[in-house]
Amino acid sequence: MTAMPTTPPPAIRHYRAHSPLRRVGRGVALAVASVLFVGYVLAPIAWLVSSSFQNEREIISKPPHWIPDVPTLANFSAIFAAKDKAVTYETRKSADPASGGFIPSTATNLLPAMLNSFVVACAVVVLNLLVGVPAAYAMAKIHFRGRQASIYVILATRVIPDIALVVPFFLFIRNLGLLDSLWSLIITYLAVTVPFSVFVLVSYFESLPDELDKAARVDGCSRLQTLLRVYLPLARPSLVAVILFAFLASWNEFLLALMFTQTPASQTLPIIVASFTSDFTISFSFINAAGVLAIIPPVLLALVFERYIVSGLTAGAVKG
Amino acid sequence: MTSSAVGAATPRLRGALSYDERAALLFVAPLAAVLLAVAVFPILYSFYISLFSLKLTRPGRMPFVGLDNYVAVLSDPHFWLAVERTAYFSVLSVAAIAVLALLVALLLNEEFPGRRALGAILLVPWAIPYVANALMWKWIYDSNYGALNGLLYQLDFINSYMVWLGDADKTLPLIANAFVWKEVPLAAILLLVGLKTIPPDLHAAAKVDGANALRRFFHITLPQLTSAFSLVVVYETMMAIRHFDLFFILTEGGPGDASHVVAWRIYVETFRSLSFGTGAAMAYVLALATLALAYAIIRMLARRI
Amino acid sequence: MTAFAPLNRRSFLKTAAAGLSAATVLGRAGRALAAEPINFATWSAAVDTVKSHIGAFEAKTGIKVNYTNSPWAQYRETMITKFIGKAPVDTLWVSDSWLPEWADAGWIAPVDQYKTLVDNSDVDQFCVDSMTYKGKQFGNTYYSDYMAFIYNADMLAKAGIKAPPQTWAEVVDQAKIIKDKGLAQWPVLISMAQESWLIEFMTAMVYSSGGHFTDDKGNAVMQDPANGAGTALRWLVDAVQKHKILSPSCVETGELAILKAFSSGDNAFGLIPKYRLRTLNDPAQSKLAGNAKIALMPKGEKGSNATVGWMRFYGMTPRAQADAQRAADTVKLMEWFGGKADGEYKFQKMLFKDVGSGFGQKSLFNDPEIRAGYAAYGDVDLIGKQQSLARKKDVVTPWFGEWNDVNGTAWQQAIMGKVSVEQALNTSAAKWTELKKQS
Repeated sequence: MTAMPTTPPPAIRHYRAHSPLRRVGRGVALAVASVLFVGYVLAPIAWLVSSSFQNEREIISKPPHWIPDVPTLANFSAIFAAKDKAVTYETRKSADPASGGFIPSTATNLLPAMLNSFVVACAVVVLNLLVGVPAAYAMAKIHFRGRQASIYVILATRVIPDIALVVPFFLFIRNLGLLDSLWSLIITYLAVTVPFSVFVLVSYFESLPDELDKAARVDGCSRLQTLLRVYLPLARPSLVAVILFAFLASWNEFLLALMFTQTPASQTLPIIVASFTSDFTISFSFINAAGVLAIIPPVLLALVFERYIVSGLTAGAVKG
Repeated sequence: MTSSAVGAATPRLRGALSYDERAALLFVAPLAAVLLAVAVFPILYSFYISLFSLKLTRPGRMPFVGLDNYVAVLSDPHFWLAVERTAYFSVLSVAAIAVLALLVALLLNEEFPGRRALGAILLVPWAIPYVANALMWKWIYDSNYGALNGLLYQLDFINSYMVWLGDADKTLPLIANAFVWKEVPLAAILLLVGLKTIPPDLHAAAKVDGANALRRFFHITLPQLTSAFSLVVVYETMMAIRHFDLFFILTEGGPGDASHVVAWRIYVETFRSLSFGTGAAMAYVLALATLALAYAIIRMLARRI
Repeated sequence: MTAFAPLNRRSFLKTAAAGLSAATVLGRAGRALAAEPINFATWSAAVDTVKSHIGAFEAKTGIKVNYTNSPWAQYRETMITKFIGKAPVDTLWVSDSWLPEWADAGWIAPVDQYKTLVDNSDVDQFCVDSMTYKGKQFGNTYYSDYMAFIYNADMLAKAGIKAPPQTWAEVVDQAKIIKDKGLAQWPVLISMAQESWLIEFMTAMVYSSGGHFTDDKGNAVMQDPANGAGTALRWLVDAVQKHKILSPSCVETGELAILKAFSSGDNAFGLIPKYRLRTLNDPAQSKLAGNAKIALMPKGEKGSNATVGWMRFYGMTPRAQADAQRAADTVKLMEWFGGKADGEYKFQKMLFKDVGSGFGQKSLFNDPEIRAGYAAYGDVDLIGKQQSLARKKDVVTPWFGEWNDVNGTAWQQAIMGKVSVEQALNTSAAKWTELKKQS
């Protein structure tokens, strides 16, 4: 029967003692669970994508067409279309936007808003790294007073809900005249992203051996050089994880952007997309297309860097 | 997570005492500056504002009222109703997240072909913006053309299209569903990490003793997961209590006040009634309550480890 | 270098002076190049009509206009965020509901000093009164209209009903007949969603039931069982809970959704702004074309055919008035839209033709084109009669916005059966009294 527990290789561990029947049973159970899982996760998104390819007439069918009969790219081309040309007395559409199927003039703001989101997210990531990496190294490797407490204090700042930050920020930034500028977003997003970044970095740095530090010092490196030459290359998974988290947190942030941006000059993607959902004149298929556009960049990013997320989070808890 | 490394003292070189501390100061200074500016300052300024009566429809008049705003907030029955709704929403969401995330983590902990792909798919809900999530679910829940109605109708579960978000009894659970769908991935990953730290010897030894899968689950897996679970519960409770985006896009607090949670009330008080004083006071009460709750949950769960 | 310096400075100054004077002399083109555009904020109605008119304005005067629009349903919230965020706005559409609130907060400014704007010789008195606050006028008319009662003529014919209902009780009876015959699941369509239109839907019901929200002195009477809003609210609650002729989703359904639903011909009766008749009877936009008809507002027991009227106007911000040039340009734009453009009421007529909107200019009532336009989809005399019975809202005060949120929620809760009619109206009255005391 089973041999003595001598930590066998993982792959064999599961199959060793099981009869073929149990193996099949397990396979079926896993398959069913996997299908349910994939369905739960992907079905809503699939519906979003399908809706974005339907035209207005089709999208209001009862019951809905799960797969579009007449797929169209019109919704997407409305987003990518050039600036709207001049409307004259002769060319004006007399149908009221109210009858639906309306592509709003703010549709042309979607792409510039994406650019704003991108600029803000990149700036936030850079600042996160500049501020977080040295501090994390210090907190993990240098034994100084208050080091224990500081990590808790840093995490505690995130316990305060964002809505509690909005009021003071709004008044302060307004008096500075910085409302409607990307800088107001970049600065406030630091509050949202830095604590978690520092937490991830500290955890990871702590898992790296202290001996490297000592060895580098013996070789005559300063603290900064130790950080840059020895620890940074080793900390790559956590760096990627921090970049990813900070980027996504900035890209997806809504409340602060809602409060601080007034015009398309500074509005980010979530704000423009949100403005569509509350406008009932807008065609449903267009709204769905805007939604698809909003999810493509973050999903792509997450899929590309997927393996760093888990390894960045585990911080050495799982060896190898 | 890595508590073992925390206590280890860094070996000090001769005469490096002050150098170390100076270096540490230099490295931590930017972080301290940033956090002071964007975290500490707003918290203090917010408290300051909450002591005044500041209505933006009457710019120019800003009388000092002391703690009157807090009294007004705490004695307002609508505020407590909002607290009730927030609690209901949070408990519902966190319970669902805990269960679903555990199931997902258990699935992903197994070895089988395609597991990597499933892990990648898991990240999709986590990556998308809350706004897109709200938009997607709003369309699914639509009373006239939504997929939920369509699906139930086609499967013959209902005879005619129903009202979903507009039905006050269904509103909070539906919003919770949208919230849970997006939060499960991160919770699942945290639990998965926890699962992976369980030494396989424990399971092997139990199997030798004749324990079946179910008993092993309850007596080994779950207890070992306690710290990961507590992290998930604390984090998701924080997220649920303060959540705003879905309420703004899906229902704007409606219908009636069925989804008037505390976060929504703060928004309305501040940016629609334009009463910044009471809005700040309410936000402060929420912040303090959140802190207390986090502390309580951590204490409660830590005792069980 | 230094040898040439004095020479350079003098010649520099001379060139600069010449350049400056040349710039001021350049006129239109120069001004358009140097100045910021006029910021014109509206809600998203008749977007193309507005755009075409702006195009003509820019071509004629060379003044650039930055036109933005946002959904009407949340217009007040959107604009307030802009105001407190000090976003650039020069002229904008304003609803008569918000005039006191926005004027007191200093977000819009009186325009009495611009004589062309306040020449009201051809403006309906109702409109003038609605634009005036504390003795000052705050803009010129955009459009004016009232809440109408419409019915689906085709469906009534199929149900064997000879004439549209005269009273709210008859509405219930006829709706039941239609429902029993299987012609419509929810015969009545009334919007109770929390959005900009809500107060107007409510007030129409309240007035026609013979009630009021406030009395002559501005005190709350909505909770008064005799002449408050109780009759109207009770009718709505019963329609949803008891007779089941009005869908419970009415608290989620906005005016636009009502328009779309009615135009697909699935309902029998509804409340909708009168100008929507045009869209409802346009074959290109509505399945109900030719069958969407207006009837006089049904009477409550002690009520009348009264309904609520409103007007929207072009407001001007203090920011625009701060700079003389900007103020002059903004006034020109307001004139172009709210008054005459090239000697005729061009925008008003286009608006009527495209969207069916009413107007504030008295002379337009007798314009043959206008009369013909109305005749195409409605009984011109009936339309005129209902107009004469339209009254201003009685809740227009500086605290209207805040009270409106509470009142709307209270009505919704009553309709959903969460609270009783009395409780809802008491909540609403209490809030009104509290806000009135604070002001």
